[in-house]
Amino acid sequence: MTTVIEPLSVQGLVKSYGDVHAVRGIDLAVRQGEVFGFVGPNGAGKSTTIRCILDLLRPSAGEIRIFGRNPSVDSAEIRERVAYVPGELRLPERITPRQFLESIGRLRSRFDSSRLAELADIFKLDLDRRIRNLSSGNRRKVSVLSAFLTDADLFILDEPTGGLDPLMQHEFLQLVRERRASGSTVFLSSHILSEIQSVADRMAVLRAGKIVAAGTVAEIRGLARQRVEVWFEADAPPALARIPGLAEPEVDGRRFTAILTGSARPLLEILGTMSVSSIVIAEPDLEEAFLGLYQEEPAPAELDR
Amino acid sequence: MSSRARELVAVALRGARRAGLVWSISLASLIILTVAFWPSFRDQPELADIVEGMPQQLVDAFGLAEFNTPEGFLRGNLYAVLVPLLMAVAGVLLMNGQTASEEDAGRMEAYLAQPVTRGGVFVGRAVGIGVWLVVIGLVMLAAQLISNELFELEVGLNRMMATVALCTLLGAFHAGLAALVAGRTGRPGLVLGVGLAVAIAGYVAIALFPISDVLEPWRHASPWDWALGGDPLAEPTEWWRYAVLGIPAITMVGIGAWAFNRRDVTAA
Repeated sequence: MTTVIEPLSVQGLVKSYGDVHAVRGIDLAVRQGEVFGFVGPNGAGKSTTIRCILDLLRPSAGEIRIFGRNPSVDSAEIRERVAYVPGELRLPERITPRQFLESIGRLRSRFDSSRLAELADIFKLDLDRRIRNLSSGNRRKVSVLSAFLTDADLFILDEPTGGLDPLMQHEFLQLVRERRASGSTVFLSSHILSEIQSVADRMAVLRAGKIVAAGTVAEIRGLARQRVEVWFEADAPPALARIPGLAEPEVDGRRFTAILTGSARPLLEILGTMSVSSIVIAEPDLEEAFLGLYQEEPAPAELDR
Repeated sequence: MSSRARELVAVALRGARRAGLVWSISLASLIILTVAFWPSFRDQPELADIVEGMPQQLVDAFGLAEFNTPEGFLRGNLYAVLVPLLMAVAGVLLMNGQTASEEDAGRMEAYLAQPVTRGGVFVGRAVGIGVWLVVIGLVMLAAQLISNELFELEVGLNRMMATVALCTLLGAFHAGLAALVAGRTGRPGLVLGVGLAVAIAGYVAIALFPISDVLEPWRHASPWDWALGGDPLAEPTEWWRYAVLGIPAITMVGIGAWAFNRRDVTAA
């Protein structure tokens, strides 16, 4: 039997600052060639976890392995295979993106500066304006370029689309898919559920320093709550309240609202027999989507390894 | 030196370029403007009489002895207080600017995430600042030699080189101290506080301690005494004076790098 070395594994990770427990025992295993979504509201401990993985922070307890090696021992060798987009973005102010990226290129052996012009063009980034004069979105692009110009095996991206407009987010997700297609592994943190859904294979939901759910995107999606709003041509029938998966049903004349968890099929089947004039199933924000998980605080679902 | 190590030093050289140039130009201007007054000092013996009338301790404290000799003039106006103090301050500010202050602003992370060691990043910064201090020293020396020529102030080349080198090493010593505190804590306020406090305490020790019989022996604990205690403008400098400033400077950078490698990097 051969042992597959995972690009990233985390076991029992704890990071505390005095009495503040930022990360309270995290287990993760990211598989070769997948996009792994790391989702949680702001302050859940995503960046702390990622900064531990990159050896910028030293864990209070637990074990991290990148391609089977300990990042606090073999840090330089490991980072040759890892590209990183930090969440809090601070770059040298007085130089241009071109100068910064060239400098990064001189620090790495696997850096493909031949793609610089192409990527700058895709992201519409002016490479020759001083970084201090760039907007936060443009700074984000500099950071994204610094990661995607490397030929890394593992991309660690901490809320990489913050500050990017929707078109650029789309281009960014294309880059992520492109890297997955060429065999790289991507660890992508976000507080935007739809972003993770559109690109990730598996995901974990983080809350207050702990993983509250983990699995395939489809599995986790089934746990999320969606807000349903239905308008009828006549008064809303009260029977709707008994449909499985619906909570907090409310009827107000022709309008019916509820929270839907899990499959929408039972609801849609019944609605199909009724005179519905319009229906909205809205993407909830993350806090709301996983409200149930957060409140119940169940034992974290085990990641299938 | 590998190309990566060179780049880590280059990052600090670029990062401190503006500050390094400002320090070089300021110190060179100070030296030239001061020496420009030499001809009028030399031709006014009354000034020496005023100094003669002052208490000896005061004369020593501010380096005013033999004000009308070339050595005394340079010592009293530049090399007893002002230049060494400015070099110490430059050492602390430049080092802080490329270590603790960069870390605190979150700008070091982009480099620490690359395939280089933390110690390498830190030492690269320190070496870059060391190079800048040498540049400032060379610019000072050039300004001094040119203005000596222009204003007919005669001090031997060896004495001049030794004096500027000792002031530069005093700057490097304080830069090393700044690196030590930066590596240990990453807090720019603390780096500045400790660095400037040690610079000023060192000056007080050589300037004022000699006035008190109890404190007098303690003047030798001051880096200023190691650098300037041998009157480098007038006397040949013992070799150990370079060593007791340079070796601790390098050692403190090493300890700072070691400490930096053992702690959390400050988040932006």
